[in-house]
Amino acid sequence: MNEITPDKFEIRDYLRLDLMPHFMCPGCGHGIALRALLWAVHELGIDKDNLAIVSGIGCSGRVGAYIDANTYHVTHGRPLAFATGLKLARPDLKVIVITGDGDCLAIGGNHLIHACRRNLDITCLMLNNEVYGMTGGQVSPTTAETRLTTTTPAGNSEPAFDACKLAEAAGAGLVGREVTMQTPALRNLIKEGLAYEGFSFLEVMSDCTEIYGRKNDLGDSAEMVLAQKSDMRPEAYTNSAEQPFRPNRLVTGILARNDRPEYGDTYRRQAAALCGEGDDAA
Amino acid sequence: MTVILQNLHGNHACAMGAIAAGCRFFAGYPITPSSEIAERMSRELPLVGGTFVQMEDEIASIAAVLGASAGGIKSMTATSGPGFSLKQENIGLAAAAEIPCVIANVMRGGPSTGTPTRPAQGDIMQARWGSHGDRPVIALAPASVKEVYDQTIRAFNLSERYRMPVVLLFDQVISHLLEPIELADMASLELVDRPWATGDSAGFEPYASTETGVPPMPRPGDGYRTHTTGLTHGEDGFPTQDPEVVTRATQRLLDKVENHRADIESYECHDTEDAEVLIVAYGISARAARAAVRRARGQGIAAGLFRPITIWPFPEEALKAAASKAKAILVPEMNAGQLVLEIERIVGHDLPVAGLNRIDGQAINPDEILQRIKELAAK
Amino acid sequence: MSIETIAAEADAVTADALTRNVLIVGVGGQGVIMISKVLALLCQTQGLQVKQSEVHGMAKRGGVVFSHVRFGAKAGDPVWSPTIPMGEADVLIAMEWAEGVRWLPFLRADTGVFIADTQQVIPPFACRNRDFFAEPAYATETPSEIVGQVSDGFALDAGRMAEELGNARAANTILLGTLSASLDFPLDDWLSVLNQFVPKGTEEINRRAFLLGRDWVETPRENPAMPAPTPALPIARPGIDVRLEITRSWCKSCDICVKLCPERCLDLDDQQIVRLKDPDACTGCRICEWLCPDFAIAVHHETPERPHSA
Repeated sequence: MNEITPDKFEIRDYLRLDLMPHFMCPGCGHGIALRALLWAVHELGIDKDNLAIVSGIGCSGRVGAYIDANTYHVTHGRPLAFATGLKLARPDLKVIVITGDGDCLAIGGNHLIHACRRNLDITCLMLNNEVYGMTGGQVSPTTAETRLTTTTPAGNSEPAFDACKLAEAAGAGLVGREVTMQTPALRNLIKEGLAYEGFSFLEVMSDCTEIYGRKNDLGDSAEMVLAQKSDMRPEAYTNSAEQPFRPNRLVTGILARNDRPEYGDTYRRQAAALCGEGDDAA
Repeated sequence: MTVILQNLHGNHACAMGAIAAGCRFFAGYPITPSSEIAERMSRELPLVGGTFVQMEDEIASIAAVLGASAGGIKSMTATSGPGFSLKQENIGLAAAAEIPCVIANVMRGGPSTGTPTRPAQGDIMQARWGSHGDRPVIALAPASVKEVYDQTIRAFNLSERYRMPVVLLFDQVISHLLEPIELADMASLELVDRPWATGDSAGFEPYASTETGVPPMPRPGDGYRTHTTGLTHGEDGFPTQDPEVVTRATQRLLDKVENHRADIESYECHDTEDAEVLIVAYGISARAARAAVRRARGQGIAAGLFRPITIWPFPEEALKAAASKAKAILVPEMNAGQLVLEIERIVGHDLPVAGLNRIDGQAINPDEILQRIKELAAK
Repeated sequence: MSIETIAAEADAVTADALTRNVLIVGVGGQGVIMISKVLALLCQTQGLQVKQSEVHGMAKRGGVVFSHVRFGAKAGDPVWSPTIPMGEADVLIAMEWAEGVRWLPFLRADTGVFIADTQQVIPPFACRNRDFFAEPAYATETPSEIVGQVSDGFALDAGRMAEELGNARAANTILLGTLSASLDFPLDDWLSVLNQFVPKGTEEINRRAFLLGRDWVETPRENPAMPAPTPALPIARPGIDVRLEITRSWCKSCDICVKLCPERCLDLDDQQIVRLKDPDACTGCRICEWLCPDFAIAVHHETPERPHSA
């Protein structure tokens, strides 16, 4: 194993170097999110041998393969379900799910709400780039209204999900959102999520520059990163017709906390009680 | 010590067999007529240090099973036709990523929601071809409560030995059948664990072939830090589209079954040595066929029964041997004719192969089979 | 018309109407598909049977794009297969140098025409040598070597020609012009079909680009020189303990670091790879490191020390 010095974060210590450079498009925000994740893993001193990354299908699904850990690239939409089995079977592993807006909210939406409800100790990092990038740029559950995609030639007419509100309503232990531009803040948020004993749902606002940005004239990669700060995703998350979403007041950071018993811990306590060796008789 | 359990229910026998086989994780979703497997597992698993979880849907159940098995724990799920359909994509992942698991499919009438509380044998071909692409398949069809118990243990053993999903196919009649059965001494059970990776993690190739064609599995936490993917992958575990590597990888998966047929195939022959009318039947239909054969023999007709327990891969050579004296073959099935296609493929160019099919949610009775035996013998 | 009739007519006309095969290759975003669409439509307007088969799945991720165009007889349809067998392309037109070299086995050995842009687009994940500081592995064949090997070969720097013409994006139209010189269609028809594909307002520059390419092939000339790669390696700054370590083979030229550097001390070199152009201005703030999606920049605040000495 590589020697990792505790103080200085060297991203190469956490990457599968023989696979680099990664295959994300130029300017893709997923790379920045990956840096923030590995930075958080480093600062918490998580052992790579006990780190399991589970991801689904799509651009987000391919991010995990570059991490030098136990990585699982499973079926579309199912990483949370796979991770649930993995974490229950192996509570000693640190389990992180990397998923995307399509993977997590569309095909895998059912798993998300139940993972939030169940409150198993998993950190779910949803990289939201508002589009199905891997398949060429189709509309996703978080695509802002009016945006052009390859399947909304006249502009998207479906409202977008507010994934954080969804997760909060479903009972997730910890809910947060951050933009990739604020890399150190994103690292801090991920650290909070990883340290939380329970289900943490973290939405990362990422940029699809090559497909979504280009199709919607959002400028080059740098302009899209800058826009995260000021005028991000103007039509997303409309609360109502009268109260349009104010992107420059987009709330980031920790948005909800719902401290409840962790599912795996509860299960094991109950099992011990059934076996007559329970410590919760009191 | 021999434990005798009186009147064990077919579904409970499946759960008890799984526990005996070392299964310590079950994820399921309620579905008739398999739900008692989940219910029994929810009671038994906590007592042996295992984990039961009821997931949000059928797909989540199989995905969680794969996750638990990837973590190194023997795992299973149970379902019926509609749920089996939903699980197919992830069964393909289990085959591709070589994650052992057992899926009990208690067959009901179909298509769609069908007749949930009535028996059928409609998933024979789904078990073989349900998931897309070329993949290895092992499916076992027990015909009694005792055999459900034994074959569940065997399903785990095969699944572990060859690192692949194994499907148990039985039906509503057997699942809800109470039979007195004698369970083997736990200590005498032969239990198989998947080959585990040991030794140096540097340069370790998780999908490199071995003498058996089954690569040792790296256990997370042991320092191998490998990649597991449903994308077609090379020996290093990373996706590839290199035609040579893709061919090699897919062929190795298929060869795991093809090269170990002797170990995987199981079947029973009753009165086949001189049988002129050979019945090929499995599961509940085989019990009726056995009775019909006995009655036919009583009437002086040389009938015999070939009963595959391993449905996939089908025991081809054994069937050919059993059919060596046969003039006709009859395949009674509770579907519109599924396994009969495989029998036609194997011996159909030499022999007439007929089906006897019921699609009304009723079990086939011995008299129906006897009637057809007489007709075939008279030809 | 039944399949049998088509087949019979096809047999009848195969003798006098040879199928022509044009293979167009490149990487994502270069206009391979545009060229093949122009050619396919042109064939249709000439009353020819045409088949076009393209692959552009991973184009956005630096992947290969290729398009097979096959056309033939005016009556019937002798073009059955949509793809060109190895060794049977009449014209191979490559918009990227290494792609042209890679597809050479598809060209007819005796009569094939090879046209290639000398532009190099080094695909980010096709680099064979992934050592830090390594130069990306790339086709080493020079234009003159290749042009000497084929029966009829042309290698031109269409990108520079287009820039000189006033619009760098017209490079593919220049290549289309070179292609037109190898195929026997009237010039006016080429130009009218081209007009249907170019963005409004660029008709004139595209017409000039087309004619430039066509004339270039028809006029014998020397091969243009390829741009020499200039290495830009980590720069240790004397007196200040800030060092930028740039992994060239990981950089994908997205420009985020250049545009978001508060000191404006970075730029892209002539190979579109990031470099520290103004070391004295760099404060070591790390913004470039944090925002680089490809981990190509590491900012070191210590005494410079290369992790892998050569």
